[in-house]
Amino acid sequence: MSITDLTSMAGSQTQLRIEINKRLSNLQNETSDYCFQCAKCTSGCEAHKLLELEPHKIVALLKKGLIDEMVNSDIIWTCIGCYKCWERCPQKVAPVQILYTLKNMAVANGKQIPGKYTSMLQSILSIGLIQDIQEAPTYDNKTKKRDALGLPPLSKPTDPQKFQMNLTKIAVEKI
Amino acid sequence: MKKYALYPGCLMPTEQYGYEISIRETFPLLDIHLVDINGFSCCGEPMKSVNQLLTLYLSARNIAISEKNNLDLYVPCAMCHLSLTECKHILDNNTHLKNKINTMLSSENIEYRGECKIIHTVDLLHDIIGLEKIKKQVKKPLENLKIATHYGCRLIRPSEIGRPVDSENPQKIENILQAIGAQTNDYPEKLDCCGAPLLINHPETALTKAGQKLKAIQEQDFNALVTVCPWCHKMLDARQNKAGETIASKIHLPVFYLTQLLGLALGIKKEKLGLELNLTYTNKI
Repeated sequence: MSITDLTSMAGSQTQLRIEINKRLSNLQNETSDYCFQCAKCTSGCEAHKLLELEPHKIVALLKKGLIDEMVNSDIIWTCIGCYKCWERCPQKVAPVQILYTLKNMAVANGKQIPGKYTSMLQSILSIGLIQDIQEAPTYDNKTKKRDALGLPPLSKPTDPQKFQMNLTKIAVEKI
Repeated sequence: MKKYALYPGCLMPTEQYGYEISIRETFPLLDIHLVDINGFSCCGEPMKSVNQLLTLYLSARNIAISEKNNLDLYVPCAMCHLSLTECKHILDNNTHLKNKINTMLSSENIEYRGECKIIHTVDLLHDIIGLEKIKKQVKKPLENLKIATHYGCRLIRPSEIGRPVDSENPQKIENILQAIGAQTNDYPEKLDCCGAPLLINHPETALTKAGQKLKAIQEQDFNALVTVCPWCHKMLDARQNKAGETIASKIHLPVFYLTQLLGLALGIKKEKLGLELNLTYTNKI
């Protein structure tokens, strides 16, 4: 199983899309009842000033059911995940959760994943971590690795094949 | 002597060695025994945008490994700490999902039970070891230093799933700093994000955010900044020059891990705390 199969719209992704859809309609039911557009989320949003994300509008669009429009928009990928919107909402609505779910939907729909997510996922599949041991630079322009610093060996999955098999199962089917 | 499994995560054990070195040096002096377990993987947090179920599975897997060894987890990274705590919050309230995850975990002979506690550096020092004990062990108080604190978004929020510090007015690092003799003060930008999660797809913006926060701290007469998360630290320390360039400012603010400052106060030699790996000029301090 390669990374392309994991993130493309292969037939087997149907189950995953059904599951994400269910999550979105749950979120829709919850927010429709409570959000009254006070925009407190947007006033604190870490991605608002520089990237123009407006979480209260995300909630409004979800209420109206404009899900495809959001899934196909780049704006959902600007969320930093600082959790201020969820923390400060007087109605306990969590725009950050909506945004994560919309991003999941974009991926399950086979949309191009921006940035370094793909290489990180590839690395997790092969070694269990987002990256392998790096040469760390020092202040006086040398480099040091774990062993040279007297640190014990890296903790990694002991049976990489089994580990990879389970992750692939989740990404493709659903739990 | 209390025992914890050390869950290293990804970033700390593969490049942020200064945090790991200082953790391994300081905690034994405070009667905390850290156990290394093989088999851990990524906590899944960086994959939340791609597939939340993947995140949930990876987190549950790491908790299960610790539970197999009957140990509570010490998690030094704020990202991992949120991911594992959130996983616990979800699975403990959803038997259906828990059973499904456990069916998959059984192929690796592990099981998520939900008995394991998940502890971060800040609550380990502040609540479990306690300020009194730290005060007693201080050999070289960090006098004449005024230090700004950076908690990291994922350590303080969302409080609904349980975080180790208060979400709007966190004071635990301040208390620890005072216990080791340093001065500290709140500042308006204290709760601002370092920008690190945006590095994946909006690097310019990420650096701008870091630069703005660093500049604000520098202008407020602090000698140094303290962090408790490898992602925040990398952003504010290793990328400080770049962040400064991005907002067209010169920034020279020494950045330390809390455990490095604590180590210094406990009388550990600076060579043993990985300070050479901090890329901001820490020698002055």
